[in-house]
This record gives sequence, C-alpha cells and structure tokens, in this order.
Amino acid sequence: MEATDIPGLPRGVRLHFDKIRETWVLLAPERAVTLDQIGHAILSEVDGQRSFGDIARTLAEKYSAPVDQIARDMAGFLGALRDRRFLDVTS
Amino acid sequence: MAWARPIIRELEEINMAPVLF
Repeated sequence: MEATDIPGLPRGVRLHFDKIRETWVLLAPERAVTLDQIGHAILSEVDGQRSFGDIARTLAEKYSAPVDQIARDMAGFLGALRDRRFLDVTS
Repeated sequence: MAWARPIIRELEEINMAPVLF
C-alpha cells in the first residue's frame, strides 16, 4: 500500500459496537470481523478522503510510535481487509 | 494505550475464531 493510497469503506460496510461481545466489529452483508482497539483506531481514521500516509502520521503522533512501524502494521491490517472486500483502496 | 499490531478475527450472529491478520 502506498502513502498516497486512499482507503475507504465500501457501500454496505460499517463499524458497529457489539454490546454482547463488548467489542467493535466491521459489518458487511452476511459477513463480519471483530476488531481490537488498534484496529478500531485505524478504521476510525478511514473516511475515504485521507491518504494512508496522512492516517499513519496521525496515529504515530497519537500513539507516540514510529511512523514506519505504524505504516507497516496498517498496511497488513488494511490489506487483509481489502483482500476480503471489507475495504476499498483508491490510488 | 500503546501501539500494537492489530488483530482481525473472523465471525462465522452478531447479536448473539480464525485470525485473519
């Protein structure tokens, strides 16, 4: 994933807080995945307008962590969601 | 909270597991 790529949630995919599990889930038609706090933090920054690089820098500042580590983890996380059609990425 | 690699778990039922990443 490139720094200029722009991630966004496809139509019909949304974040939802599941009260039974007390965790955030990403819902798609007939499918769902659970997210941990970091996954939720990443997707909370995804708005279909901000770039991968912008989001990585924001999270690096928020978590006081190296931006290259954040970008590496974000790329794997968002790539896994894209592969399963929970995420769109535009270049 | 410190940064950590995020984990995604697949749900097979949302209002009543394999690790994808």
